[in-house]
Amino acid sequence: MHATYSPEERLFQDQVRSFLRNNFNAELAARIREPETFKSATIEWQKKRFAKGWVAPGWPVEYGGCAWTDTQKYIFDGALAEAEAPDVPPFGLKMVGPVIYTFGNEEQKARFLPGILNGDTWWCQGYSEPGAGSDLVALQTRAERDGDDYIINGTKIWTTYAQHADWIFALVRTDTTAKPQQGISFLLIDMRSSGVSVAPITSIDGEHHLNEVRFDNVRVPVANRIGEENKGWTYAKALLTHERTALSGIAYCKQVLNTVRRLAADENDDGQALLASPTLQARMADIEMELMALEYTELRVLAAVAKGGAPGMESSLLKLKGTELQQAVQSLQFDVAGLYGSVLPSTGLAMGHDYGDRARREYMFGRACTIYGGSNEVQKNIIAKFGLGL
Amino acid sequence: MDFSLNAEQQLLKDSVDKYMSERYDSEQRRSYLAAPKGFSAAVWQDFGNLGWLTVPLPESEGGFGGSVVDTAVLMEAMGRSVAVEPYLATVLLAGQLIANGDNATLKERYLPDILSGNCQAAFAYQERRSRHQLDAIDCQLERNGDGYSLNGHKTLVLNGAIADVLIVTAWLDESIALFAVPANSAGVHCDAFRLMDGQGVANVRFDAVQLPRENLVCAGAGSMALIRRVLDEATIAVSAQAVGAMEYLLKATVDYSNTRKQFGQPIGKFQALQHRMVDMYTATEQCRSLLVRALCSNSIEQGDVQTQAQAEMDIAALKAMVGKLGRAVAEEAVQIHGGMGVTEELNIGDYLKRLMVIDSLFGDQDWQRRRFATLRYQ
Repeated sequence: MHATYSPEERLFQDQVRSFLRNNFNAELAARIREPETFKSATIEWQKKRFAKGWVAPGWPVEYGGCAWTDTQKYIFDGALAEAEAPDVPPFGLKMVGPVIYTFGNEEQKARFLPGILNGDTWWCQGYSEPGAGSDLVALQTRAERDGDDYIINGTKIWTTYAQHADWIFALVRTDTTAKPQQGISFLLIDMRSSGVSVAPITSIDGEHHLNEVRFDNVRVPVANRIGEENKGWTYAKALLTHERTALSGIAYCKQVLNTVRRLAADENDDGQALLASPTLQARMADIEMELMALEYTELRVLAAVAKGGAPGMESSLLKLKGTELQQAVQSLQFDVAGLYGSVLPSTGLAMGHDYGDRARREYMFGRACTIYGGSNEVQKNIIAKFGLGL
Repeated sequence: MDFSLNAEQQLLKDSVDKYMSERYDSEQRRSYLAAPKGFSAAVWQDFGNLGWLTVPLPESEGGFGGSVVDTAVLMEAMGRSVAVEPYLATVLLAGQLIANGDNATLKERYLPDILSGNCQAAFAYQERRSRHQLDAIDCQLERNGDGYSLNGHKTLVLNGAIADVLIVTAWLDESIALFAVPANSAGVHCDAFRLMDGQGVANVRFDAVQLPRENLVCAGAGSMALIRRVLDEATIAVSAQAVGAMEYLLKATVDYSNTRKQFGQPIGKFQALQHRMVDMYTATEQCRSLLVRALCSNSIEQGDVQTQAQAEMDIAALKAMVGKLGRAVAEEAVQIHGGMGVTEELNIGDYLKRLMVIDSLFGDQDWQRRRFATLRYQ
């Protein structure tokens, strides 16, 4: 039992750090954070990683992944957090990509994987519906066969970044008579198809991340179906496990904690640095200790997966604990910002901190993380039933 | 990076798990507790015969030369059964102090008997005003001819009542020294009692106890460093015990919920209870992760100041979380066992008591969290 790095691994760590120094900086980070420049800057960042061959660490090498060990992946994620570099959006690389290379046919792999890797295709996820949230199998969007096409009718909701997306991967109902889980198919739909419309939903951070996507007699070639008809739920479940593992957000929490430490060292708290306050220290320590634990929980899960175990309830555990911690660091960040965290950007250049706006937005949108990807209460149901055998 | 046990450690785990499952159910445990010494002499002898008493001690002293990982394997299994044998006091505290001290005479005198199970020992370091501060003590050594005279009181000495030898901290000149005090020395007065988890303890008074120079385990700056290292490793060990106890409680609670019926169905079908058990599971997994983390950083040579500080932070985080979450898990286990959980008919309370004692030992959750914060933020 050890957590040390071999000389080769230390060399790899140097290479990653050097890559990040040369390819990522605060200016790019700021453009990724700003809604107006978010998409172009995100693609720019993805292309830099793609050019280096470091865009899809989790993929098999034959499809463009990295021949990395778990330790190398851990080193890479750690270096990203140190450099305060965000990961690229998960919809293509962490969600639909693995479904396509696992369950798709050769033609689909050749057609879709390159764009997912190089950032040319922006994907969004069409799962939730107005009547199907955490109870995903209640989805009603219909796909009716018409020759070589399906005709799609229905509404998807909470579709993150649909306004940027070129393609959507969606769960649709192809059999209304079967049991709910058995009549679902997995389709790839071009967002430019006639009959697709996107309506923005403004979230409580005042921003536009979320959308409602409507399908009005949209024609989708049967060739865009992944795997067999009515087997979509099986493919989606495999993906959900990956998704939840991707949602732990440990690197993000570390970044926010670094920021908080920096800020708290400068804030005045009755004549001394806020960072010296015993109550703040106790609160930070509680969060950091949980995070140190979760980091090793994730490593233990990865090690088990590498040995052939599937991440079952452990992925739910990572989602559950990870999102709780994300909200904890967001609350902390907001509190350290003080009332400056409540200043709306429209009021102009208020005296204060340049991080107040970020603290407010991240706190507000962060309320969603314990809801999306299957609410935390649903994750607890999954652990109770499949993990603990209750 | 590799979190698995090596082949030797896996063998050790298999052997201790097998032994404890055969010899340590809750009825057997109660019969051991009822023995005059508060534990089973036969079990202790088995520990000796199976080589477990040698595990953490250096090879140069006849030990197995195991790392904190080997010790954790043993302690976790003992935690799973709330074992009452004084492994912590005799082997991990007193044994380690003697073995890592610099007195060859004492090593020869005590270690062979400790390793074979024929000597009980204890570490007397706490006094009424110490709480967790190691140097808040008043025990005093004065030079007396060729030897020393020891005066003072120690409290809550684990295994103090039956120990053949006590390793005692006391002021010598301006620093703290460690002395081996044979329990039968004139002037040693022992007041024995029990902790609620079954461990035997004693308050000990030293009344002008005459000690030869050769009983000095360690003096000067080195003694404090030695004490800290031994207590840190013991802290990891009791945390491993806590993780074993937490895993037992989770399993016992799930099993009980699947059989106990109320309102026409097993209580484990109620979502309110399911979610509480999931919280127990998360807490247990998080503590195991911190245990793995601390084992990794503390089983290697501490190369530089940074890795040393990291290793210490890992211990503080582990003990703080095990203190907090161990108690939380045990309290939930009692709650979900309902009325039966608050009776001595079930063994759930035994685990609650052990986990509470572990929280209080070697720095409780608040103290360890402050230790972590000081290392991290100052």
